[in-house]
Amino acid sequence: MYLESRRTFLKGAAMTVAGAAIAKGVFSTDAAAESVENSKFTNTPDSLSFYPPLDQWEGFQELDGTDWKRGGINRHGVQSEENPDGIMVNDYMIVPTACSNCEASCGLTAWIDKKTFTVKKYMGNPLHPGSRGRNCAKGYAVQSQMYDPDRIPFPLKRAPGSKRGEGKWIRTTWDEAMSTIGKKMGDTLRNGDELSRKSVMYHVGRPNENGFVPQVWETMGLDSYNSHTNICSSNGRTPSIWTANDDRSSPDWANAKLIFLNSSHAADAGHYFQQSAGFIADARKKGAKMVVMDPRMSNSAGMSDLWIAAWPGTEAAIYLYLANRILNENMTDKKFVKKWFNWETLMNDEEHLNFMHSKGQITKMPVDKSFESYMELLKDMYAPYTLDYAVKETHVPAYKLEKLYEMFIWAGDAISTYIWRAAAAGNRGAWMGGRAAYFCIGLRGAIGTEGGTFFHHWHVISVSGKGGSSTLGQGAGGADVPKVKVWNELTWPPEWPLSTYEMSYLLPHLLTDTAWQKKWNDRGLQIPSKLAVYIPRMYNPVWINPDGFRWIEVLKDESKMELTMNLSPVWSETNWYMDYVLPVGLAGERHDQHSEATFPARWSSFRQPVLRVALEKSGWKAKNPNRATLEAHVKAGLGEVWEENEFWFDLCVNYIDPDGALGVKKMWESKRHPGKPVTISEWYDAAFGDNLPKLKETATSDERYSKDEFPVYSYMRDHGAWMEEDKIYHAMERELKFADGEVVSHGHKFDAGSMSVGVGGVISAKDHTGKDTKIGIEIDGKKMEGFETLTRKLEFYTQWATDWKWREYSMPFYPRNDKEKSEMIHLVSQVHHMYMTEENSFALNTVFRLPYNIHTRSANSKHLMEISQNHDPIWIYTKDAQRLGFKRGDAMRVKIVDTVSGLDSGYFVAMAVPTEAVMPGTLACSHHGGRWKLTNHVTVPNGVTDGKVDPSTAPRDLNNKEFLKESPANIGKAGAQTKIDDYSGTTGINSFGVPVAEIQMDGKVGKLKYVEGIKGFKAERFAEYNRDSENIWWDGLSGSWQNAVAAPHPDPVSGMHCWHHKVMLEPAQPGDKIGDIFVNYDNNFKVYQAWRDTLTRGLDSNSTIRRPRHIKRPWVSLDSSAYDVTIKS
Amino acid sequence: MDEIIARSNIYALLSRILLQELDVEILNTLMKDNTVLEFLPHWNEWELRTSLPEQKLLEEYLNPDFTNLSLLHLVPYETFYTRADQMIETGGANPVTDIYSAYDFIVDYAVARVVSSDHIGVELEFMHHLCEAQIKALKEGDSDSATELLSVQHRFLNTHLLKWAPMYLINMKYESRTPLYYDAAEMALEFILSDNEMLSAVVPTVS
Repeated sequence: MYLESRRTFLKGAAMTVAGAAIAKGVFSTDAAAESVENSKFTNTPDSLSFYPPLDQWEGFQELDGTDWKRGGINRHGVQSEENPDGIMVNDYMIVPTACSNCEASCGLTAWIDKKTFTVKKYMGNPLHPGSRGRNCAKGYAVQSQMYDPDRIPFPLKRAPGSKRGEGKWIRTTWDEAMSTIGKKMGDTLRNGDELSRKSVMYHVGRPNENGFVPQVWETMGLDSYNSHTNICSSNGRTPSIWTANDDRSSPDWANAKLIFLNSSHAADAGHYFQQSAGFIADARKKGAKMVVMDPRMSNSAGMSDLWIAAWPGTEAAIYLYLANRILNENMTDKKFVKKWFNWETLMNDEEHLNFMHSKGQITKMPVDKSFESYMELLKDMYAPYTLDYAVKETHVPAYKLEKLYEMFIWAGDAISTYIWRAAAAGNRGAWMGGRAAYFCIGLRGAIGTEGGTFFHHWHVISVSGKGGSSTLGQGAGGADVPKVKVWNELTWPPEWPLSTYEMSYLLPHLLTDTAWQKKWNDRGLQIPSKLAVYIPRMYNPVWINPDGFRWIEVLKDESKMELTMNLSPVWSETNWYMDYVLPVGLAGERHDQHSEATFPARWSSFRQPVLRVALEKSGWKAKNPNRATLEAHVKAGLGEVWEENEFWFDLCVNYIDPDGALGVKKMWESKRHPGKPVTISEWYDAAFGDNLPKLKETATSDERYSKDEFPVYSYMRDHGAWMEEDKIYHAMERELKFADGEVVSHGHKFDAGSMSVGVGGVISAKDHTGKDTKIGIEIDGKKMEGFETLTRKLEFYTQWATDWKWREYSMPFYPRNDKEKSEMIHLVSQVHHMYMTEENSFALNTVFRLPYNIHTRSANSKHLMEISQNHDPIWIYTKDAQRLGFKRGDAMRVKIVDTVSGLDSGYFVAMAVPTEAVMPGTLACSHHGGRWKLTNHVTVPNGVTDGKVDPSTAPRDLNNKEFLKESPANIGKAGAQTKIDDYSGTTGINSFGVPVAEIQMDGKVGKLKYVEGIKGFKAERFAEYNRDSENIWWDGLSGSWQNAVAAPHPDPVSGMHCWHHKVMLEPAQPGDKIGDIFVNYDNNFKVYQAWRDTLTRGLDSNSTIRRPRHIKRPWVSLDSSAYDVTIKS
Repeated sequence: MDEIIARSNIYALLSRILLQELDVEILNTLMKDNTVLEFLPHWNEWELRTSLPEQKLLEEYLNPDFTNLSLLHLVPYETFYTRADQMIETGGANPVTDIYSAYDFIVDYAVARVVSSDHIGVELEFMHHLCEAQIKALKEGDSDSATELLSVQHRFLNTHLLKWAPMYLINMKYESRTPLYYDAAEMALEFILSDNEMLSAVVPTVS
C-alpha cells in the first residue's frame, strides 16, 4: 500500500523550495567534527578501568571533566585554535605518590595540569600492588586538603610577650624557627647527662613511614621517639608479640575461606581499610564467608554472613569455646601443632604444670612429656569453655556460636583474621582475646597458609631509615650509628615493663605527678620533671587522647614544656597551645617510604611532593638543593610549606650540631657533598638500593634509568610503588641460608661458625657484635628460620611471662567464674556486664572509626566534612531507649564512671539514636566527633606586609621555560619571605569542619560549650578550587569531645588505653546542649593513679632489666646497657 | 534523479516541521507551495489557515500545538522508546551519535535546540543529508557511492527511525489539535514506511 502513496511522494521533487533550504541545518561538518576526527578522544571508552599507560604519564591529554557537562565532544568537538568552543583538553603530567590519610598508604597519582601548574585531581596508582588503582573517600580528599583555604601558609610563632593559648601569632621564617629549636636541642644534647637525653621528645600520630624519623633520633642518641600506638592498637599487638614475637597479624583476605573480623576494622574503616575491603570482596566473590564480631552493627557486620555481638571484652570466651570443640571433637591439625606450637617447653616445665594444677587450670597432671599428653592437657584445660558458659559470659545466642564453629571448621586452614582496635582497644585484658584467637586458628593449622593468618614482619618493607651509605657518618643501613644508651621513663615507665609501645597518653600525667617522679628518683632512677623540647608531628594529642584538659594544662605550662613545636600542615586543638607551628606537607607534598602488611607480599609505596617532582622532571633545578621541596611549594603557590625529610636533614647538619662536635652532623652530611646535608635523591637511592636487591636489579638494568645518577630513586619516583616479593606463605619454614661463612635468618647475618643447636632444636649463633642470638630451629633435620620467639615456635606457653610476674596468663585463658574474675581482674574488661548494676548503666563503645574521617585531619576537607556530618550520635538499643524514655534526637547526659576507683569523670551531652544495630546494654559513639576551636579566624599581622618577595614573575606553566628557570632565592631565610597568593593577613581555622567553642578550666574542672556552628564563607586563598565554600549546610554540632571526659585506663600488661567506659545515662538538664562537656579532670588523675597502683606489676628491687631484651622495643635501637636497671628497695 | 530529489525534499520538510516550532518563513512555504499543500490535505482545507493573520496562527494555534506534542505530552526522542528505563540518553552514549560521527556529522545543539541527538527532527534531517550526498554522488557520476548511500539510508532507517518513530507519529496524530500536525504525522508515517519499502526493494540485504 505504501508504494501506492509513493507516487504522491514523488511529487516532492516539484517543491518550489529545495529541501536544503527548508531543513534547519542542525548538523555541522566543520572544525568541530574534524577536531573529533583528528583527536584520540571518544565519547564511549572501551573500559571504565582504563588508565594511561606509564609511558604517557609525562604528557597525557584528557578532556576536561567540567567542560564535559556541556555534552561531550559530539556537541562541541575538541578545543583547538580552529575550534575554540570545543571541549577543553588538559595537558597533564601524572606523578605517583601515596595517600597519607590513613596508615594503608594506597597509591595515588597526582594529575598536574601543566598549563596552570596545579593538581587537577588525585587518582589511584594502578602500579600499586595493594590498592590496585583504587582509593577510598579519604584518598580523593587529598586534593581538597592541598587547596584548603585555611592551610597554614608559612611558619608560625607564638607572638613574643603572649602566653600559650592566647592565640597571638606572628609569621616567622624557617631559619628562625630552626635556629631557635636547633639551638635548644643542641644545648640540651651538649649537657650530655642522662636527664637531658630524656628531655627532648618527638610525638607522632601516624608515622606513615618506615623508619626515617626514628633514625633521626637514633643518630642523636636520644630515647625520644614517642608514638600514639598505645591509644590505638597495643592490645591488638600484645597477643602477636607474646605468641610470635611479631608486631601484629597479617591476613591473606583474598584467598581466605573464612574472613573473621574481630571488629569493624579491615572492611569498614581501617585497618588498611580500602585495600582490605578490595581483597575481602575478591574472596567473597570466590565463595568466602565473613564473620564480624562487634557489639555494633558496622557496615561490615551488615554485609557479613554472621554478625556476632559479644559483650565487649568477653571475646576470649568465644575463641576458647571454639578451641574446646576443636580439641575435644578431634578437629585439631596435630601435625601443625606438633611442629609449630612450643609444647615441649610447657611439658618440660614441671613448676608451671604444678602451678596450673594448683590453680585449677588443669584438673590433673600430664602422665608424661609426650605430645599426646600435651594434647590431653589442652583438652582438659579448655573443656570448661562450653557452649553454655560462652553464651552466659558473652551474651551471644547459642545458635550463632554453633554456626560460627561450623564455619570455622568448614574453612579449614584458610581462616584470615586481624586482631586490632575495636574489641582489643576497648577493653582491659583484651589482648588475651587476640591470643585466644591465634590459639584456635593455630589449632586448625591456619597460620602462614594461603588464605590464612600470618605475621607482620614477613610482609613489610622498612628501609626508610636505611639510606646511611649516602651520608658521611651512618654507614650502610645505619651500621655505624651508635646505639642509644638511655631509657626514657616518661615513655616507658617502670610500672609497665611489657608495655607494647610508649605510654604516650600519660605524658601530661607523668609530668604532673611529682609524687611518682619522687618515688622512682628515690629508688635510683632519673625521671625528667620537664621537657626541654616537645615536638608533636601532625598530631593532635589534646583532642584525641583521654583527659584533654590535662594535656592543655601541661602544654600551657612553660616550666614543664620549655619549647614546643608541631610539624603540622593544618590547625588543630594542640597547635593552639604551641610555640611554633611549622607547616609540612600532606600526602602529595612530602617524601616517605611507606609499606604495610596488607597482603602476603612485601611492597612499598613512595610518597612524593608531586609538584616538586613535576618541576624537576620538566627541567627545573632548585637554588638550594636541600630545600627543593620548600622552593617548589612556594613556586606552586602553596605557601612556605616544606617536608620533614629535608627539614630534619637540614636541622641536624646546620642547626643542632653545626660544628659537628655532637657527632650528629656527620650522620646527615652528604657523602657526595661533604658539609652539606644529604639530598632526597641521595638518601632514597641508598635506602631502596642498599636494601631491596630485586628493585635495584630492576632499576639498574632498565635502560630508562640505568644511566641516571640515582637509578633506584628515579625508578621509584616514576612508579611510586614496588613489590619486592609476592606470595609469602609458610615463611617460618624457610631454610637458613649460608654464604661466605655467614648464616642469614630473617634478613640478618650471623657467624655461621658459631652456630649451635640447643634444647628443643633451637639454633643459636653470634651476631656481628658477638652476642648470642636465637636464629632458627631444627625440626626433622631441617634448619629453618622459625618464628621470632625464643623457642622459634608459636609460644602458646609464654614462659618468660613468669619472669615478669604474669605467670597465670602465660597460656590462653579467660576467667571461668566470679572467683577467677576477681583474681584475674587484669583480664576482665572495665565495662564487663558484672559492673552494669544500675538500670541506666551501659558499656560505651567509643573506638570505632568513621570510614570517611581521618581522626583529626579531616576538618580541612570540605568533601569529607560534607559526607560525615551528623553521623556521631549515641547508638542505643531500641528497647533500652524505650525503657529510659529516650527518643531519636533527644539530648542525653552521658556520665562516665570508673569501675576501678569508683570515681566520676564528668559527662558529655550527646544525641540519642535508638537502633536495633547495637547490642542491648551497650552504646556506641565514635571518638571522631567533637572537634573545637576557640575562634573562627586568626590574624597574623606579619602575614603579607613584610612578605614582599614575589616567588616568581613568569606565569605558572610547566611548558614555560622562563617559569622553569626561576626559583625563590634564600628560601626560608630572613628577608626572603615570599608573598602568599590571595592571603589577606587573616586566616580561617578548619572552617569546613570545626565549630567554635568556649572552654573553662581551673586545674580541676573543665567545661566546653559550643557557641557557633560552621557557616559558609567566601574563600580567598585557592578561590577557584573553593568556589563553593559558601555552600555549607551543616553546622558541625552533632558530636561531643568525649575524649576529654574520658579518664586514662592503662592496661596493666600492654599499656593500652582501654577506651570503653562504663556510663550512666541521664536526661539532659535545662540549658544543656548537644556537645556540652563537663570534666572533673582532678578525678581523672586519680583514675590514672588507681589503675596504675592497683593493677600493674612493675619493676622492683629484684629487677635487673627494664624489659625483656628479646621483645620489640620500637623505633630506636637501644644499647644493651640501657636495659640494665637497679631499683633500690 | 527526481525520486532522490523528492525524497531529500520531503525528509527536509518533515524534519523542519517536527524539529521546532514554525517561523514565518517556513509558514509561508507551508501556505503557498502547492506540492506541500497536496501532501497536507486537511491543512490545505483548514479555514483558519487563510483567515487568521500569520502571527496569530503561529502563536495561538500552531506553535502551542507543537509545544504540546513535542515538549509537554509526547517524547520525540528515540532512546525514550528503546531504553528499558525510558530515559533519554543525552550524553555521548547515545547510539545514534556513532552513525553521525562515522559520516563526520556533529549535531549543533545551539541550532537544533534539542536535548539529545536522537530527536525525530534530527534523525529526519540526517536522512535528508544522506539523500543530498547521494544527489551529489549521482551528479559526479559516482554510482558506487550513490549505491552505498542508499544502503546507508536503508540501514539508518531500519536501525533507528523505524524502530520508534511510528509509535511517536501515531500518538502525535491522535494528540494533535491542528490539521497541520495531524497531516504532518500521517505524512511522516506514510513516508518513512513507503521509503523503506522502496529501499528494501533496491538494497539487496538489510544491513
